Amino acid sequence: MNKQGKASADFRLAILAFFIFAILFIYSGLNLKNVDLGYQQHDLLQQEKKMRAEIDRLQAQKASLLNLERMERIAREKLGYQYPEAGQIIKVFEADDEN
Amino acid sequence: MKINSQGKKRFFFLSILFFVWIFFIAFKLFKLQVIDYNTYMAKVKAQINRIEELHSKRGTITDRNGEILAISLQSKSAFLSNKDMEVSLAVYRDFCRQLALNNSQKLKVIKRIRRGEKFIWLKRKLTDEEYQRVLPLALNKQTAGTIDFIDEYRRVYPQNKIASHILGGVGIDEQALGGIETSLDSEIKGRGGKLKVLIDARKKIFQFKYLEQPVAGKNIHLSIDAALQFLVERELAGTVEKYQAAGGAVIVMNSSDASILAMASYPDYDPEEIWRTPAPALRNKAISFLYDPGSTFKIVLAAAALENRTCALHDMFNCHNGVYMVRDRQITDVHPFARLSFEDIFIQSSNIGAAGIGLRLGGEKYFQTIQRFGFGRRTGIELPAEENGILNPLEKWSGVSLAFLSHGYEISVTPLQMAMAFNVLASGGYLLQPKILFGGAAANLRPKILSPLSQEPLTTILTAVVDRGTGKKAAIEGVEIAGKTGTARKVKAGRYTNAYVSSFGGFFPARNPQVTVFVMIDEPLGMYYGGDVAAPLFKSITAKIMLYLKLFPNLPDRKGIYL
Repeated sequence: MNKQGKASADFRLAILAFFIFAILFIYSGLNLKNVDLGYQQHDLLQQEKKMRAEIDRLQAQKASLLNLERMERIAREKLGYQYPEAGQIIKVFEADDEN
Repeated sequence: MKINSQGKKRFFFLSILFFVWIFFIAFKLFKLQVIDYNTYMAKVKAQINRIEELHSKRGTITDRNGEILAISLQSKSAFLSNKDMEVSLAVYRDFCRQLALNNSQKLKVIKRIRRGEKFIWLKRKLTDEEYQRVLPLALNKQTAGTIDFIDEYRRVYPQNKIASHILGGVGIDEQALGGIETSLDSEIKGRGGKLKVLIDARKKIFQFKYLEQPVAGKNIHLSIDAALQFLVERELAGTVEKYQAAGGAVIVMNSSDASILAMASYPDYDPEEIWRTPAPALRNKAISFLYDPGSTFKIVLAAAALENRTCALHDMFNCHNGVYMVRDRQITDVHPFARLSFEDIFIQSSNIGAAGIGLRLGGEKYFQTIQRFGFGRRTGIELPAEENGILNPLEKWSGVSLAFLSHGYEISVTPLQMAMAFNVLASGGYLLQPKILFGGAAANLRPKILSPLSQEPLTTILTAVVDRGTGKKAAIEGVEIAGKTGTARKVKAGRYTNAYVSSFGGFFPARNPQVTVFVMIDEPLGMYYGGDVAAPLFKSITAKIMLYLKLFPNLPDRKGIYL
């Protein structure tokens, strides 16, 4: 093999090595990216789970605040409300009702 | 540069060493990657692979307006990995300092630590506050891994005791322990799942795959109205306490479709504490309390007599001045009458008059009507532990059975069965199926069991019971209420005793019924007549319902409403 042929073969070998390294680099890069996406996906899933739990917690808290016993206690003790006595309710008929 | 033979030898020797070294590394790699591949792969997989059990979330239970009655919240359960006994004991002491635990609980855990058990529950289903207090113990680097947490769901009932018997409750492992939680458990509980995860050295998940997708439980929408339920429960508790009764039950239903608006049973309990509630308090008396109904059952007799054209409203019956013997058994009236008309027998609630009607009607016709009203079998409401009631077959009736059944003895019923009987009149003659689930009433079409020719006069009679009969204490000015009182002796160990059950059933407005109500008070002390104990409770409940549903009495303009 002459000098020029040897240089050409070396060049092809270098190109091949470059492609092999490039493929390995891309492959491992994608693998790393995949792992990273896995972390992200799991984090997002955890966040979603936390948010759903938070929604449930807030709904339960709202329901507890609207607890009828509590509301009645506040109405009676803090606001001074009471059930109407007999005769205190008067139904007023509107003109349309009479027709 | 020339290399002498000594140098060549050294170079040769180093080359040999280098190749041996390379060969050794290559062999080691070959052994690791090929020969021992399976062993090491299994070790790696064991370290990074994990299968996580995913708990399903129980469905939320709401009332007809969407108010939450039961909801599952995510919570942490603390456990101890008992690797080093001394460390475990020290950490557990710190844990106890943060939470209020009773001594027996503490001693149990300490015993288990000393026995060397590896996994010990410290406290299940911590509240958010408790979790925040004990979290630093788990994060402490010196004792890392001793205390850890597992995600679980905690069932919360934000309305506390309201509708406890309808809701039921769940145990520590979310297993249903009663009420709708039990009857619809398969729908509410959902299905757990499995997640295969890969974890890194920091125990962070970087890859996961669902082996089984979890299915959340179905949300349940009840027909009850939490506000009405609250009002009814409070009124019932007030009456039970006033008469120092053993308990009671109230059923409020929509007359047209038999959807339950409120169902109260007393004594009640806190669903979050169901596991430590004594058994008698867990019993939903509205569907599982069996008793002889007494005079409220006379509506079935009246319906049978009118439907079979056996009696007319003004037919007169001998009431034997308050005492009447049927074979060797005595029937008495509270108020003695010589003679009463058919309608007055019900208005004055004469047992002797009722026996006369029954004897004229005959056992077979009466038995058929009782069966048509649904007695002796479950109503089919979506709640567990409903009783059938006891209705003896006609062949087993004795010579006195007909006379006693005519005024509500020799038969056992549940309050719900009686409520459904009253609702036959309120719904225009239909025996509907009671519904506790919202929106389930569309398919509630049943054959008509009572014609208008019977239903209308019977409604008139029941209106008169409230206007001028035994049910006067249930009357509300401006509202036509149809109802019937009942007072019956209780059966204990097969014998009638001096303990009573007072009841009152009715519906309003009588000519266009919207709501059917049935109340029952078990063993009131002092007064015990249905007209004295149950009728006033019926009235106070009806007044609250009318206010809440804005069903105001029909009174002249600007006249005060007496509710």
